[in-house]
Amino acid sequence: MSGLIPLTVRELRKWYRNPVFFIVGLLQPIFWIVLFGSAFDITKLFSKLPPDLSSLNPFGIAPNYITFIVGGILTTTSLFTAMFSGTSLIFDRRLGNLGRFLVSPIRRSSIVFSKILSTTIRILVQAVILVGAAMLIPGGLILENGISVLDVIIIAAALIMIAFSFSSLFSVIAIRLKRQETIFGIINLINLPLLFASYALFPAGLMAPWLANVANYNPVSWSAEAIRTVILNGTTTTASQFHSVLLDLLYLFLLSVAMIIITIVLSEKEIRD
Amino acid sequence: MSDEEIIVETRDLVKIYPGEIKAVQGINLQIKRGEIYGFLGPNGAGKSTTIKMLSTSIKPTSGSATIMGYDIVRDSMKVRRVIGVVPQDLTTDEDLKGIENIEMVARFYDIPSKEARSRAKELLSLVDLSDFGEKYVSSYSGGMRKRLELVVGLVHNPQVLFLDEPTLGLDVQTRAKMWDYIRKIREELGVTIILTSHYLEEVDELADRISIIDHGKIIVTGTSDELKSNLKGDIIQVEFSSEADANKFADYEDKIEVSYPKPQEVRMKVRDADSQLPDIMKYIVNNGIKPLKLSVHRPSLDQVFLEYTGREIREEEGGDVRKMAMNMRRLRR
Repeated sequence: MSGLIPLTVRELRKWYRNPVFFIVGLLQPIFWIVLFGSAFDITKLFSKLPPDLSSLNPFGIAPNYITFIVGGILTTTSLFTAMFSGTSLIFDRRLGNLGRFLVSPIRRSSIVFSKILSTTIRILVQAVILVGAAMLIPGGLILENGISVLDVIIIAAALIMIAFSFSSLFSVIAIRLKRQETIFGIINLINLPLLFASYALFPAGLMAPWLANVANYNPVSWSAEAIRTVILNGTTTTASQFHSVLLDLLYLFLLSVAMIIITIVLSEKEIRD
Repeated sequence: MSDEEIIVETRDLVKIYPGEIKAVQGINLQIKRGEIYGFLGPNGAGKSTTIKMLSTSIKPTSGSATIMGYDIVRDSMKVRRVIGVVPQDLTTDEDLKGIENIEMVARFYDIPSKEARSRAKELLSLVDLSDFGEKYVSSYSGGMRKRLELVVGLVHNPQVLFLDEPTLGLDVQTRAKMWDYIRKIREELGVTIILTSHYLEEVDELADRISIIDHGKIIVTGTSDELKSNLKGDIIQVEFSSEADANKFADYEDKIEVSYPKPQEVRMKVRDADSQLPDIMKYIVNNGIKPLKLSVHRPSLDQVFLEYTGREIREEEGGDVRKMAMNMRRLRR
């Protein structure tokens, strides 16, 4: 994979040296947490339930809405960042940079993987800042049951796999495209369904049964649910809860592996100027 | 230059793009170590496609080629290590510094960073960019960016350097300076250089041997002098006020070739214009012909091109117009 590291360094340099890109990319998810989470605290509707009916609360033991959606927002932030990673491939083609990579003795898939890897690193930085912001604001993220190192690893793993899956998918789409408008169109088309047909923002109990069913198969739900479970339960996570977290991670793992294989095959064969 | 080692060889190289677009239709050539070899032809003649095949960025439809004995399809990774490429488009990243671009490409070739640094320093000074290595490429002028492309193409010490339209979009002075750098590269680094151009004077100025390409085929190959001497002399062109006058020239002298590019224009191929001219003047006066213009053309590649292709080389919109416009914009800054 010679070429992967220098190309990834290039991507990251371009990212952190562009202050507008850097700050806007970080502010947007913070707005989601701070504004959407605070304006839309629907957990309040259920907080007056008498204790013997608390099992009916669709938000479970979430102390507030921000704590409930933090896993979903982390996931969708990864998703949206990952979806745009394909556009830089199109820019490289349009600006001529790709011409240099194609005549160099590097694997062609390393061109695509440098986008995927740098996107993943960016997402992890965003996630750290996002969690920090969620804990700082009043009525924000509360880790009532603590958090273990394993929980942190689970959260990172879920986000990394979302990043890998979706940046692979969108890079593969971009491999032969000459116009970034096409990618923007596809992103606009699928970002809302992926967000709302998932458990990222709402519990299954509040959804129409058919939608809850669809959401079950949405990778965004797998990641959001896994993160939510460890954030809400922390050190008190039961064996059966842990089991369902592992199952979610397994699905994400299979998806990422499949996407990576497709990316390797297609980028070695199809990428051209 | 004394040894006649063949470094690049092609056999019936063909490229057909989807939609039956025959960009290259069977090219055979041999390029010797140390020479500057020029492809001359109008836009869309197949020059860039040939270079892209030889530099492994696209695969030929049929035929084969070897560079230093490596097959361009089977051993493409080995070919990439011995060639340097300066494509028509600018390939350096504006958001990085000059030196960062060079070092990134050096890492593609697994060159240790210490070696890459000293190599970069050496090459930057060769093209007079020593003071700009630490500057962002976005601050470079068009000519500087082209020079940086040369450095990036040479960073891994290639044996063969491909230059695709090296001065496209540059102004006349910058172009002449670029020629000096290209000659300097051959002299100081001993690299074999293969360049394409649709500027006649560029190929005439730089290339040891020239292939004229048109419609995807090599029409003729030779040194500039050989091609010119093939013309067998000078051309005298006379323009008249009427067609009738021009026709009187039909029986001027049957020993020399006479052609009529336009009805009232006569074109004569003569062995030596200087000694022939008085005779023509006498004929004009004796026959009461009124010429409007009289011009003498010494053998030039313009004439060679016209002779072999039947048309003048000219700027045609070709290829990726959008990309070209984008490059021009960047070069003019």
